[in-house]
Amino acid sequence: MKFEVAQLHGAYMLREMAVSAIRTSRLSKDYGVGRGLFDLDLEVASQQVFGYLGPNGAGKTTTIRLLMGMIKPSAGAAYVFGLDCRRDYVEVKRRVGYLPGDMPQFGSLRGKEVVAYLGGMRGGADPKAVRTIAERFDLDLNRRFREYSNGNKRKLGILLAFMHRPDLLILDEPTNGLDPLNQQEFYELLREARDGGATVFLSSHILSEVEHVCDSVGILRAGKLVRVARLEELRAAGETSLEEIFLSYYSDTDHHQKALPE
Amino acid sequence: MTAIRLSLRLGRWGLLGFSVLAFTSSLIQAVGFYQIAGHTAASRAAFAQSMTQLASQLTFILAPPAGLDTVGGYVEWRSFGGLAIVFAIWALVSGSGAARGDEERGVVEAVLATGITRSRWLASRAICYALTTFVAALAGGLGLVAGVAGAGESISFGPVVEISVALAALGLSCYSLTLVIAQLTGARIATAAAGAVLLALFLLNRLSQTFTWLASWRWISPFHYYELNQPLAAGGAFDGRATLTLLGIAMVGAAVAGVVFESRDLGAPLVHWPSRHRPASYEPSGSPFWRIPVVRGLYERRAGLAAWAGGLAAVGVLFVYLTKTVLQPLLSIPALSQFFGGFGGGQLYTTFLGYFWLSFAQLLFAAFAITQVARWSAEDSDGRLELILSTPRSRASVVVERAIALTLGAAVVAAVSGVAVAVAAHYQAMNISGERLAEGTLVLVPFALVFAAAGAVLAAWNPRAAVGLLGGLAFVSYLMDELGPLFRWPTWVQDFSAFKLFGTPLSNGIDRSGLVIMVALILAGFGASILLMERRDIGA
Repeated sequence: MKFEVAQLHGAYMLREMAVSAIRTSRLSKDYGVGRGLFDLDLEVASQQVFGYLGPNGAGKTTTIRLLMGMIKPSAGAAYVFGLDCRRDYVEVKRRVGYLPGDMPQFGSLRGKEVVAYLGGMRGGADPKAVRTIAERFDLDLNRRFREYSNGNKRKLGILLAFMHRPDLLILDEPTNGLDPLNQQEFYELLREARDGGATVFLSSHILSEVEHVCDSVGILRAGKLVRVARLEELRAAGETSLEEIFLSYYSDTDHHQKALPE
Repeated sequence: MTAIRLSLRLGRWGLLGFSVLAFTSSLIQAVGFYQIAGHTAASRAAFAQSMTQLASQLTFILAPPAGLDTVGGYVEWRSFGGLAIVFAIWALVSGSGAARGDEERGVVEAVLATGITRSRWLASRAICYALTTFVAALAGGLGLVAGVAGAGESISFGPVVEISVALAALGLSCYSLTLVIAQLTGARIATAAAGAVLLALFLLNRLSQTFTWLASWRWISPFHYYELNQPLAAGGAFDGRATLTLLGIAMVGAAVAGVVFESRDLGAPLVHWPSRHRPASYEPSGSPFWRIPVVRGLYERRAGLAAWAGGLAAVGVLFVYLTKTVLQPLLSIPALSQFFGGFGGGQLYTTFLGYFWLSFAQLLFAAFAITQVARWSAEDSDGRLELILSTPRSRASVVVERAIALTLGAAVVAAVSGVAVAVAAHYQAMNISGERLAEGTLVLVPFALVFAAAGAVLAAWNPRAAVGLLGGLAFVSYLMDELGPLFRWPTWVQDFSAFKLFGTPLSNGIDRSGLVIMVALILAGFGASILLMERRDIGA
């Protein structure tokens, strides 16, 4: 009997490992007049840091918001660990830590109250994880949210995304507003999360950052995915720097094509 | 000029909305006058007599009228009396938005970065508000002119302009006072502090009609100077000195606000209170309330709820004293005592308190619901809802939790105010039916929820427009209750008004069919909100 259970559990684990952390199939969000995200076919394997590159308005945030089930696709579908992002969005979020591009306002709530509030919605925050991350970023949770600097608001966002040790981290331009020291601390946190079995999907337009922390990259241009590659393969093939690859996809006319409506 | 153009652009929706509101209000009252008062001198005299009795019961909110047998006198009392309150609220919202809201949003910083001085920026906002408030006030006057013309009569344009100038001057003086207070206080409490001052000034003027000991302080209230103007009423006149005083208050207020603005740090109040030192902490809050659905929403809003409960309790107690003060002299007259003895089934105080207090409480509970809807809209537009939905929660559960939290919040506010009214009535030796008072107070909860349910639909459909549309809906609902019986509209039309559905629970008990309709509207509203929420893009 024990063997059967173990086998069943093992079978489940094997199936789980075979499922991509993120998979999209012809995922589209059409805002009209050629703006939006079109026919995105993307697969992000588990336990890696995936960098999602593109200029402002290319469709990075649209992709992230589709993955989080915040907006509905015009066509296609997105899956997180095999779960439909639209239909199974509650289950998806149980396994995801999310950092939005802009931190919302929490007014006069203290940092510790914001953590308890959103942690409570997840069934309770892990005090040990919270303490560890807050100490690493030297984020005083006793201060009111409105007293925080932009950098501290970002740190709080990072804490909220990591505090429940999620299987997948979806981070929209995570280092915006962080000073270089805290950026390094954040990169270290990413590596630890990956080594601990988590997958990270982060959008950025800072090429050096992506080169520094990511295992794979996807390049987005005017709402379409134009390249997906593992960074070590690029390096092994002797391709030029990520910056040159990135810039090669953009001409002056393309640069004005945007994914989001003005 | 650029600053004024930008200010005009920022205030364009206010201009449009309040112009339409003022025009509609005056037009409806003018049309209503001809419908009810008729066209003969005798019928109008009878109408004026009955309206004078009504006016004596409304002195806590509207100035004593003059010349009610003329359309000008009637519209001056019913429309321009109410518009004084509406314009003061507009001035409060617009003034605190200009002084602090735009600063919070970074608009002021961006404008000052272009080289415009602080005083010039503030002056441009005040000038812009003066223009918009005058246009909106004039729209109110034009509503009267249109109503009179529709009845085939005419009215002199001079007094119409005069009352519009007086109304605009009142709005501008309230705006300047708000600017001053918003400069002195922190951004978070600017609106509340300015609102408290304007409310105190309003009540000081109104209550001085009842409590004579307040009369010697009436001169500090801008509302007093506005009420000295009665250009539309027969025998009344435009008071130039009073209007100049209002403009003087506005100019001095704006100048003081400018000086304070030059002296303080951007984003900070003029006077900093030393903050209590708290040691750094890296722990989440240990309070268990954050983990319990619904309770966390109430706990987060505990200060606001306490303010609403305390405020309503205070207003309720005030109305008990007001009822006693108004009725006691009448009851001391033997003939009137005999007349009132058969009035309201012997429950005279219950009937009058029901009329005074619950009518006013309805408006406050509608406002309470609108503020909660404003919060839901803000959660959506500032990204807070997105972060909440990044936790494993369904959209439906968010709507349900909001509805339950609002129900409990409204119940707490109703219970506290009801108890305060009952205790005050007991100490005033007023014979009030405790059961009726409890019922009447509790019906305020579904009443507020009707507006909240409508707001939930609007917030799920278009969060940015939800508050404005809900405010308009509340106004229309109020008008339907006022005008429905006068124009003999069908009952099913009147039943769309939450004010009508509320009934008169203190005098006649709970209107059970009204209660059932209210519950149906609440369920339908929140149900529709869930459906819309499930289908929409968050943040769009």
